[in-house]
Amino acid sequence: MFLTRSEYDRGVNTFSPEGRLFQVEYAIEAIKLGSTAIGIQTNEGVVLAVEKRVTSPLIEPTSIEKIMEVDKHIGCAMSGLIADSRTLIDRARVEAQNHWFTYNENMSVESVTQAVSNLALAFGDDDPDPGAMSRPFGVALLLAGIDKDGPRLFHMDPSGTFIQYDAKAIGSGSEGAQQALQEQFHKSITLKDACKSALTILKQVMEEKLSATNVEMATVTTDRLFQMLSKDELEAIIKDL
Amino acid sequence: MAACAELPAGGFVFENCQRNKFLESQGYKVPKAYKTGTTICGLVYKDGIVLGADTRATEDTIVADKNCAKIHYISSNIYCCGAGTAADTEMTTQLISSELELHRLNTGRQPRVCTANRLLKQMLFRYHGYIGAALVLGGVDSTGPHLYSIWPHGSTDKLPFVTMGSGSLAAMATFEDRYKADLSRDEAMKLVRDAICAGIFNDLGSGSNVDLCVITKDKVDYIRPYEEANKKGVRQGKYRYDRGTTVVISSEVKKVELEVIDTEVRAVPMET
Amino acid sequence: MEAMAMMPYQQEQTNHIERPIQHRFSPYDFNGGTVLAIAGEDFAVIASDTRLMTGFSILARDVPKTTQYTTNTVVGSCGFHGDVLTLTKVIQTRLKMFTYLHQKEMDTSSVAAMLSTVLYYRRFFPYYVYNIVAGIDTEGKGCVYSFDPVGSYERETYRAGGSASSMLQPLLDNQIGMKNQEGAKQVPLAKAKAVALVKDVFTSAAERDIHTGDAVCIHVITKQGTTKETYPLRRD
Repeated sequence: MFLTRSEYDRGVNTFSPEGRLFQVEYAIEAIKLGSTAIGIQTNEGVVLAVEKRVTSPLIEPTSIEKIMEVDKHIGCAMSGLIADSRTLIDRARVEAQNHWFTYNENMSVESVTQAVSNLALAFGDDDPDPGAMSRPFGVALLLAGIDKDGPRLFHMDPSGTFIQYDAKAIGSGSEGAQQALQEQFHKSITLKDACKSALTILKQVMEEKLSATNVEMATVTTDRLFQMLSKDELEAIIKDL
Repeated sequence: MAACAELPAGGFVFENCQRNKFLESQGYKVPKAYKTGTTICGLVYKDGIVLGADTRATEDTIVADKNCAKIHYISSNIYCCGAGTAADTEMTTQLISSELELHRLNTGRQPRVCTANRLLKQMLFRYHGYIGAALVLGGVDSTGPHLYSIWPHGSTDKLPFVTMGSGSLAAMATFEDRYKADLSRDEAMKLVRDAICAGIFNDLGSGSNVDLCVITKDKVDYIRPYEEANKKGVRQGKYRYDRGTTVVISSEVKKVELEVIDTEVRAVPMET
Repeated sequence: MEAMAMMPYQQEQTNHIERPIQHRFSPYDFNGGTVLAIAGEDFAVIASDTRLMTGFSILARDVPKTTQYTTNTVVGSCGFHGDVLTLTKVIQTRLKMFTYLHQKEMDTSSVAAMLSTVLYYRRFFPYYVYNIVAGIDTEGKGCVYSFDPVGSYERETYRAGGSASSMLQPLLDNQIGMKNQEGAKQVPLAKAKAVALVKDVFTSAAERDIHTGDAVCIHVITKQGTTKETYPLRRD
């Protein structure tokens, strides 16, 4: 369906006669080229895990960042064009801080996701809003956090659509990973088991051999909030796989 | 020695004016006088005069006195309501009252209202309005009932009904609506009461009760209060403190040494 | 120093010339109103008188200065009534937007925080409004927040604001704060006692403050919601 380029490909905001916005759909396709990212929500907290493609031994692996802190209580994993995520993360951080400044409370994960998604469809050719782009963002996000309703996990794609998940995988290995998550996830899964599952699944879908250097993992829990896992902590889990 | 027994020369002392102006320029506050934001009024009726006043005295936005008397005695047949600076209305009416009393003693005649009016306006004019007294003067003399309003700068009006003070507009509205010549005593009292009440309830500077003074050829009825327009609020709780609530920081008992100089025993006859 | 102090004395002679006085439009008025709030263990009481005045005139006798913002938040605002109306309108729109955006009612603490930012936003042309927020906090306890017109705020257990605040506050200090009472025990304040105290302090304020009177409107806020009561005061 995407093989034939048509005149509707030219304007980013032009619907095709079948009711499609091709550029947005292509952007969603771009995610499938990205590295795999997984998020699992448990009763204790949420875990985020991503694969880092270290394509050359000359790459400094720690310089690849695919999990970021949005606020003390919210983290975000991403897949796709990582550079595009900067704008989105920036917006998320500003919104979260602004909310705290105005209301003296932590912004809910859903509200942060909503705020970011507002930016996703603000692209266009003319007079873009500050922060908006001329094309759709080529990145998908997994927003994980703790709020009044407990641990929450949201997925947002370049169309700005966001959905809450118990467990979600995005990126090149997402199809297989999602299947695996469906099999492994249950409502009473512990955070520790969720961490293990996430790495196990990543290991299955990754081309390279999984190690503490080519994955990133973070947890968001009630008492420790957003926390990146250190290399030692990662190694401890990997050893148990 | 003899100096302290000398009578004051009379009039006001101005020697501190320059000092006070200097202090004011240095940012020191000038002490404020009570201003009786007031409703006072009076009218002429068939047999004489009815004067009325509220009883609230204010100091800026605070009620300083909830039941003060604003109808002042001038002479047995003349009374005067005062609005403005409390001290000024008080002293001015007293001063003129004593002057009129001397006049009465000298002439052996009952003072006339026009005389009181002339004395008051001359005094106020002399002080260029710095004596903040706005007055309603009323009385009955050998020539009949008379009613004047006197302004702080010394101008006067002789009218069948007058009002003064911050509530004067409310009171005047009542008079303009319902005043007629030759009202009966009861009608006149009711109208003055209503005028004062209009001031009490619609002017924030006026409040509490209604005082009336009815002056006729041979009788004065000073009715205070004529009506308690506002009852004091009743409290729900008890606010008594237990004994010992006030802290005693220290206490000391000192014996007063008395020297016995003389003793005497006397028989006192029993009271029968 | 000496010389400085002497200066005005010498100028005195020439200072009699009257200088022209510049008259300027004042964008503010003062319309009176007294607000009072007390936080109890599991309730909060907030009250205001219902008189609206300007100068020496009464504009209305039945305008409460309290506004219910959420199920468990009531705000008392007094000062310049024009600003009171605008401010409450601004806050109410913001609250509506918040519920649409976040799918929940704003907490009392957040209403207070937001009010503070809204007030500080006008730091150099302030809303001439004295605010007191009362409600129930997230732990179910009564809470009171008091504000100055430019957004400084603090959580307290009791507070009086507006026209007769300087009369009410010392009374509350003594009766609720048990200040200056030797050997007095701090007992938890009962709801009925708090309401009776509110009526009494307003009755007393109406005796001496010319701006306060007509009636007092009392809101009692609990977890279950709020109740409203109007109690008459002197009308002079």
